[in-house]
Amino acid sequence: MEVTITFDANVYSSDAIKKAAYRSINKFAINIVNDGSNIKCSLTFKATTTESQIKSYVDEFKKEVLDQDLRESIKKETEGIRNLILAHTFSKTGLIKDE
Amino acid sequence: MSNFQTIEFYKNKKKEYSLLPFRFECLGENNYVVTNLAGEHLIITRDALENLVRHKLNSSSADYVNLRAKHFLTDDKTQIAKELLSIKLRTKYSVLSEFTGLHIFVVSLRCEHSCPYCQVSRQSDDKVKFDMSTEVADRSIDLALRSPSKNIKIEFQGGEPLLNFQLIKYIVLASKTRGGDKNISFVIATNLALINEEILIFCKEHKILISTSLDGPKEIHNTNRPRPKGNSYEKAVEGIQLAREYLGIDSVSALMTTTQNSLGHVKEIIDEYLKYSFLGIFLRPLSPYGFALKTKTYAAYNADVWHEFYMEGLEYIIDLNRKGIKFREYYTSTILTKMFTSQEVGYVDLMSPSGIGIAAVVYNYDGSVYASDESRMLAEMGDNSFELGNVLINSYEDIFLNPKLLDPIEESFAFSVPMCNECAFEAYCGADPVFHHGVFKDFIGRKPDSEFCKRNMKIFKYLIKRMEHDPYVKKLFMSWAQPNA
Amino acid sequence: MLKLQGNAISLDVKFNKRALFIVTKRAGLPSTIKAKYAFLLDSYLNYEEGYGAYISFDKVQGSGISNHFHLPIEMNYLADGDVISIEPSGRINSLFRKNSAHNTILLTEQCNHYCLMCSQPPKNIDDSWLLDEAMALLELIPRETVNIGFSGGEPTLYGDRFLGLINKSKLMLPRTSIDVLSNGRAFSDLFFTANYAATNHPDCVIGIPIYSDDPARHDYVVQAEGAFDETIQGILNLKKYRQKVEIRIVIHKQTIERLVQTCEFIARNLLFVDHVALMGLEMMGFTRANLDQLWIDPFEYKNILSEAVGVLSSYGINTSVYNHQLCVINDDVLPYYKKSISDWKNEYVDQCNLCVKKSECGGFFSSSKLHRYSDHIKAVI
Repeated sequence: MEVTITFDANVYSSDAIKKAAYRSINKFAINIVNDGSNIKCSLTFKATTTESQIKSYVDEFKKEVLDQDLRESIKKETEGIRNLILAHTFSKTGLIKDE
Repeated sequence: MSNFQTIEFYKNKKKEYSLLPFRFECLGENNYVVTNLAGEHLIITRDALENLVRHKLNSSSADYVNLRAKHFLTDDKTQIAKELLSIKLRTKYSVLSEFTGLHIFVVSLRCEHSCPYCQVSRQSDDKVKFDMSTEVADRSIDLALRSPSKNIKIEFQGGEPLLNFQLIKYIVLASKTRGGDKNISFVIATNLALINEEILIFCKEHKILISTSLDGPKEIHNTNRPRPKGNSYEKAVEGIQLAREYLGIDSVSALMTTTQNSLGHVKEIIDEYLKYSFLGIFLRPLSPYGFALKTKTYAAYNADVWHEFYMEGLEYIIDLNRKGIKFREYYTSTILTKMFTSQEVGYVDLMSPSGIGIAAVVYNYDGSVYASDESRMLAEMGDNSFELGNVLINSYEDIFLNPKLLDPIEESFAFSVPMCNECAFEAYCGADPVFHHGVFKDFIGRKPDSEFCKRNMKIFKYLIKRMEHDPYVKKLFMSWAQPNA
Repeated sequence: MLKLQGNAISLDVKFNKRALFIVTKRAGLPSTIKAKYAFLLDSYLNYEEGYGAYISFDKVQGSGISNHFHLPIEMNYLADGDVISIEPSGRINSLFRKNSAHNTILLTEQCNHYCLMCSQPPKNIDDSWLLDEAMALLELIPRETVNIGFSGGEPTLYGDRFLGLINKSKLMLPRTSIDVLSNGRAFSDLFFTANYAATNHPDCVIGIPIYSDDPARHDYVVQAEGAFDETIQGILNLKKYRQKVEIRIVIHKQTIERLVQTCEFIARNLLFVDHVALMGLEMMGFTRANLDQLWIDPFEYKNILSEAVGVLSSYGINTSVYNHQLCVINDDVLPYYKKSISDWKNEYVDQCNLCVKKSECGGFFSSSKLHRYSDHIKAVI
C-alpha cells in the first residue's frame, strides 16, 4: 500500500523531512524526491497495516515534519544567544579551553 | 506661573516608537498578557496589542505610558530602556556561572518503607551491595568541591540515608576539612523513622538540616508510604518534633508527594502542615518515573485533575493568609520569583538552560553519576540516557563535558525550541529534558502534547489573572516572590 | 520655626568681610584660638578681650566694645559649639547647630532643574562664595558630629570643586556621615563618577529624586528635558562604583497617580539602592505658586501610599516615609514612618493639643501650617 505526500520545498527543508521520516522508520518505508519546488514523499506500508493506522501514521508524519522543520530553523536563528548563555554557564568551570 | 512648562511640553515629540522584544499570550475575554525581555508583564486588550504592533498606539494613552515605562517600547523621549533591560538579563543569567550548587549523595539504596511511587530503593539488608563505600564517597567529594560555586549544598538521599549514617558523618567531616573557603551546607532527606539522639547531636554540631516526607494526615500518609508496622506517619511526626528539639524549628522541612490518594484532600494535607508549624508546602505533581509508571499510578490522573488539586490548595492558602496565617506554596513562590524579580531560585525543573548537571548532580551509591535526581529514577527504569559516568573511573571533565549532558542541555534550551521560543512565559518556565525524554523519548517533546507545558501554562495564566484584580493577592504574591524571604 | 538668619545691631565693626565664628560662653580660651570664637556676653557684660566677635541678645546701648553684635532675641537658641557667619553689615547666619540632628549646608542656589515644588528656587548668580564658606565651615564643625547634609540648588554644578568638598569632608570630619541632595545627572558622566568614587568617603549618600517611572512626567515635575534618562544613568554609574544612593520621591498631585508604578520600577530596575524616601510636600518656594497643580490632601492618598510602601517593603528595600502626620496615614505605614521634619521647621496645629500621639508625630512644616495642610487632622485620644 503506497501513499504520496507532497511538501512545498519553499516551506519545508528536506532535512526536516528526512528526520521526521526516520522516526517512523518502523512504520513505513519512504522515498523522497526533491524537484526544486516540491518534495514528493512516497510512503509504503506493510501489508498488515490497516486503513485507520495508515491515516494516523500519515498525520503523525506530517506533524513530525513541521516539528522538525521548526526545530531546525529556530535552533539556527537562536544560535548566537544560546551559545552566549551556555559559554557563560561554563565560564568558571575551567573546562572551556581557549582556542 | 509663565516660567513653567506644561506636561505636554515634555512628552515625546515624534509620534513614532520602536518596539522592544516582547511576546504575548491570550488570557481570554479579550485580554492579552505581554512579557518583555526581562520577564516583566502587563495585561492589555487585544485592540491595544494590535495597535501596539501596528505602531498605531496613541502616545497619550495609559497603555502607552505603561508599556514605555516597562520596557516594551522606546521612543525619542527615553533611551535608557536598553541598558536597564541588559542589566536585568545579566542579573538573571549571572548565577549560572556558579555552576553546580546542589550535590546529592545517595549513601544507601536500602529502605524499610515501600512507597509505591518510589523510583528507587531496595528492601534489603545487603549493605555491601547497596551502600555507598568510602572510596566512592571520597571521589564524589572531590568532584563536588571541584565545582566553581562558592556555596555548595550536600544533600543525603537514598533509600533511607540514615541506614548509612556512619558514611554521612564521614562525608560531612571530610568535605568540611577539604572544603577550603567554600561555604558548605548539608541536608538529610529522611523518613525520620530511624532518627535518634546520637544522630541529632551530630546534626546540631554541623548545622545539618532535615528534609522529611509528610504526605498529609495519618490515613493519607500511611497509605502512600507503607512500612512494616504501618506507622510511617507516627514515626515521621515523632521524628519532626524530636529533630526540632535539637535543631530548632526552621531546621526541619517537609515535602509531600501527590498520589491518587491525595486528590480531593488538599485542605486536609495543608491543615496537617499547619498543625506541625510548617511555614509552607510544595504541592508537587507526580513525576512519571519509576514504580509510579509501572504501577500505573501516573496514568491515574492528568494535568487537569492535578490542576484542580493545586488551585484548591492555593486558594485555601490565600484565604489562610487573609486570616493572618503566614503560609505559602513553594512551587508558586518559585514562579513568582521569576515573574517579579531578576533572581534565579535554582529549581532544576524550572530552569532554562536546564539545571541538570549545571545546577544539581547526583553521586549514586555505586559511584555512577547522574545529571539529576530524575535522571537516576529514569535509570532505574532501564533508561541510562542521563548517566554521565562513574566517580571511580571518570574525571570531572569526562563527566561535565559528556555529550550525554551537553546535548540535552543544548537541545532543550527553551529559547531554541518550537513554541517555547515564542512563548510569553518562557522566562517563567524551564526546559526539563529528563521529563520529556522519559515520556516522549526526546529531550524536547512536542509541547502541545506535554503535560509539563500544559500544567505550567495553566499555572502562569492563573497566577497572572488572579493578581490583576485582587490587590491583596498581588501584595501577597509579591512577598512570596522574594528569594530570601 | 527657628529663625536662622537675622540682622544684628553693631556700632564698631573692625572686620571688612563675612567671617565664620564658633559660638562660645567660655572665658579664658587660649589666645592662639580665641579669634575663631564669638563670645556670648551675658547681661553683665562679662567682657574679655581677644575674641573674634562678641554677641548678646539683650537690648544694650553702645557697649564700647568692638565687633559687638546685638542679635534679635529670636536667635537666642544659639549655644556653645554652634557656628555662625557674621557680615560687617550685621547680617548673622546660623550655619551649624551642635544640638541639631539636621544640619544642612547650602552650597549654591544655582540649579539645572526648576522643580514645580522647589523649596529653594534657583537663582542664576555666581554664589560660589557659599562653597568657599562651606570649605571653611568644615574646619569649625566638631569632629564628633554624626551627620551633615549638603544641598542646593544643584551641588554637582561645581564639578571638581564639589569633589574637593567631599574630599575635605573626609579629611576634616572622618567620622561624620554626609547626605548630598543632587539630581544625579552629573554622575551620568562615568569619568566624574569614577573621580567621585576615588575620594572614597567612608559614608556619603547621594539623595536623588525620581518622580515617576514615566520619563515625560519626571521631566515635567523637574521642568528639564532629558532629566529622567540622565538621572537613571547617574544612579547606575554610582552603583557601578558601589557608591551609596538614596531615591527621594516628593508626593503631590503630579506624582501620586503613578506612585505605585514608580515604586515597582525602582524595585525591578534599581533594587540595589540603599534607601527610598517618600516625602510629604513642603509649602515653600515654588510650591505655593503651583499649588493648584500640586496640592492633594494626604488623607486622600493614604491608600496609595500604603500600596507603594507595600511594594518597596516586599522587595526588602529600606523605606522611610517623611513629612506626614500620623493621623493621615494608615497603620501599615507606621513601621516606615519617621518623625522627620527638621527641628527648625516643625510645628503643630490646634487639633493636636489633645493628641496622645503628639510626641511620636513629626507635626507640620511651619510653611504648611501657614498655608495649607490636610483637612483631616484629628487628635488621637
